[in-house]
Amino acid sequence: MTQLKASLLAGTAFAVALTGAVAAQDVPREDTVIFDIDRTIRDPENFNPFTPGVKRQHGAHQTMWEPLFILNYESGEIEPWLATSFESNDAQDEWTVTLRDGVTWSDGETFDADDVIFSINMALENEGLSEREPATIRAQVASVEKVDDLTVTFSLNSSNPRFILENFANRIFGSFLIMPEHVWSEAGDPATFAFNPPIGTGPYTMTSMATNRAIWDRNDDWWGAASGFMDLPEPMRVIFLESGGEENRAQLLVSNQMDAAQAVTLGTFEAMGFQNPNVIAWFNDLPYAWPDPCARQMEFNTTVAPWDNAEMRRAVAMLIDRNQIVNVAYEGTTQPSRTMFVQYGAMDPFIDAVDSAGHAFSASADVEAAQALIEGMGYTMGSDGIYELNGEELTANIHVNSASSEYTRTIDVIVEQLNRAGVNARAVPVENSVFWGEVLPLGGYEMSYSWLSCGSVNEPWASMNRYTNASVAPIGERAPGFNNTGRWDTDATAAYTAIVQDMGTMAVGDPAIPAMVAEAHGYLSAEVPFVPLVQAAKLLPFNTTYWTGWPTAENNYNHPAFWWGSAHQIIHNLEKAE
Amino acid sequence: MGGIPSSYIVNRLITLVLTVWIAATLIWIIPRLSPVDPAEVMLGRMAAGGAFVEGSDLILEQLRERFGLNEPRWVQYLLYLRSIITFDFGLSAASFPTPVSSLIAQALPWTIGLMLLSVIITFIIGNALGAFMVWERTPRVWKVVIPSLMIFTAIPPILSGLLLMYVFAVQLRALPLTGAYGLTVEPGWTMEFALSVVEHGTLPALSIILVTFGFWTLGMRGLMITVQGEDYVNLAKAKGLKPRYILYKYMVRNAILPQVTAFALKIGLLVSGQILVERIFSYNGMGKLLYDAILDQDFAVIQGVSFIIILMTAISVFIVDLIYPLIDPRIRQATERTA
Repeated sequence: MTQLKASLLAGTAFAVALTGAVAAQDVPREDTVIFDIDRTIRDPENFNPFTPGVKRQHGAHQTMWEPLFILNYESGEIEPWLATSFESNDAQDEWTVTLRDGVTWSDGETFDADDVIFSINMALENEGLSEREPATIRAQVASVEKVDDLTVTFSLNSSNPRFILENFANRIFGSFLIMPEHVWSEAGDPATFAFNPPIGTGPYTMTSMATNRAIWDRNDDWWGAASGFMDLPEPMRVIFLESGGEENRAQLLVSNQMDAAQAVTLGTFEAMGFQNPNVIAWFNDLPYAWPDPCARQMEFNTTVAPWDNAEMRRAVAMLIDRNQIVNVAYEGTTQPSRTMFVQYGAMDPFIDAVDSAGHAFSASADVEAAQALIEGMGYTMGSDGIYELNGEELTANIHVNSASSEYTRTIDVIVEQLNRAGVNARAVPVENSVFWGEVLPLGGYEMSYSWLSCGSVNEPWASMNRYTNASVAPIGERAPGFNNTGRWDTDATAAYTAIVQDMGTMAVGDPAIPAMVAEAHGYLSAEVPFVPLVQAAKLLPFNTTYWTGWPTAENNYNHPAFWWGSAHQIIHNLEKAE
Repeated sequence: MGGIPSSYIVNRLITLVLTVWIAATLIWIIPRLSPVDPAEVMLGRMAAGGAFVEGSDLILEQLRERFGLNEPRWVQYLLYLRSIITFDFGLSAASFPTPVSSLIAQALPWTIGLMLLSVIITFIIGNALGAFMVWERTPRVWKVVIPSLMIFTAIPPILSGLLLMYVFAVQLRALPLTGAYGLTVEPGWTMEFALSVVEHGTLPALSIILVTFGFWTLGMRGLMITVQGEDYVNLAKAKGLKPRYILYKYMVRNAILPQVTAFALKIGLLVSGQILVERIFSYNGMGKLLYDAILDQDFAVIQGVSFIIILMTAISVFIVDLIYPLIDPRIRQATERTA
């Protein structure tokens, strides 16, 4: 009772919780850039990035905390930021990172190797730090040592050519963040430490936080400008504002009360453009949208008849018209997938290699060839237009997460395509938590809609490694890391695994890799444990009324995901509109 | 207590405790009927975010340990009962390690402020309109206008919210689009903050009032029709009492009792907020807290919010049960006879 009373008092007093915050002074709108957040900041007083919640994407890791490196999705390069370089030993189980000289925290303390060592050891020693990044560090790192004030060496549990990419380069969403030793060493239990007020090395400091918005003001003493690393970013103030949904974000952009919004549908984007011609997206014309890293696909449970037969799975792959999915389910805002990979510039060499080897998937259907395959398995077309074998209809139940119309609409199109071709297909919508908590990891499906190839954005191994036979679990047991949930485990899987495991030991960028990708993908294309469908569309509207320099396909200094840690680059590229 | 027998109060108190206990048990059981536990949900969320989840089995085990899911079910239940008595609903899974009680405490004042105001205004306007629809002295034009206002009851609050938003926030730019207070206004006991809260609360409150007053109007109209033909009303008229006096003292006072019960239930339910209205206006009250918790499968928050709703409803009904005998002498007499 006492606790609730205290909490109620705190809540009723509104301001009590924010007494540490500096009052937000007025900054002109033309000096302020306003980004959208799609979640409520439930715990605005907590800045512990190693625990779940909206504790980073409200501007903290876009403005205040800086990464060691940032991966460029277009070039595939890992660009230096707080660190200047990295190198490994020949076995690639020891990595040395050199930090940039002259970096300071916003309170004036020096950022150096001690902060890195402390942060890594904190992750290694505290299992309560449950977010993905500290968990990955625990799984991969054996120890870390200081060489000098600007050099640290990581000893890994096993060889990993992608160590920097996976942990420190903002590959997807964020990366492991280095925390100030002089603050966190006094913190007690790091799993419950709120880190409030927070400090970082970035060009902005926290001014005010509430459940629906975060205000960050420029620190004109930022180390980067002082050391000549980079000019101060132009916006004096950065605000992350919870818009409240697609309708609101549209109105906010149209009325110039917001500069960058979370994803919208095509109809909303076109309506916005009609009312405010300054609203732009990644492409000037259809598909407009930037592809999200997780391309969409349909998994087969390869242990369930008749989908345990590779010929039947190939038939289904051939029955699917990806162009129709793009046009009907996505209204033209995406592109058909040619391979298992996301189609970024950095992935082109691998996709092209698969294509050249003849292993890419066609964007259109080949119904005749597919039906020939089905009939080759002994099926005959019944009077109702559905294939039968021994009096049993050919059926296909496709599990789909019911949380988004994007998913269900895609499966509706596929169900229609399969039904027309003689497969009695039906969608099985499943609630989100059951889908991710049970259906996928335990293999409780015949077919399912997902994006479990997700991982690769500039090199092929991360995605390909998810389908090796090292990850095969019996049905009913949890597939490790959500890998190979369809339990693909044949001779082809073994051959595929051997190539992928070899690839896994090679340096990122090794010229031999594209040919290996093509060969390995040949096994996937032949046995089809999953069908690549389309790229995932993120139609992100930007407003050029106050700010220009937004990332686009033409101005592609990096991708446009402004809620990721890489958004430092976006903010530094913004220029005041004329 | 004002002539109410103590046995009546004890009976009602026992009913209150039983209701809360049964409801609390149900909200503990229902999430556990799901084949997945909160730890699996959190792991699934990581996987849905993209890429491989390194060390997933270890993460799962640590999460289960932290949420006490490795304990036997009966131990979990007893721990749950003990914690809700102290209003300790545990830690939020989606905003770990924030206590659920602090999330509720943050959201509750906003919802109570918005909903209490809306419900009281709606109750007064709705019942007044309902009474005037039946009263024979109401001008004819109002008897046409009032029923046609009922069209608003058919509009979902989310749509009325969007409509009001479009007119007042986008076209006229008279009121703000989103949030509970201004973008750069610092919360505090200041006039600037208070005015900003009123300004930001106007559209959400209007969107609720507009679509809910009809509920009270139609209810009151039905009750007034019943009362209208009663002998005591005819007698009052025959005595030559003033029509307004008859309306307020004889008709409205008798007709309004069931409305008061409904009002009490609404008061209990108002802590749950108007989920969709709070969502579209980014108004971070209890409704939006519940909405986000359902999306996040944050069972601790769902249980905490549900418990507060149940508790408030049960207490409201309890209070009404105590007030009833004071308003209606017939109930008091029946209670005394039973006692």
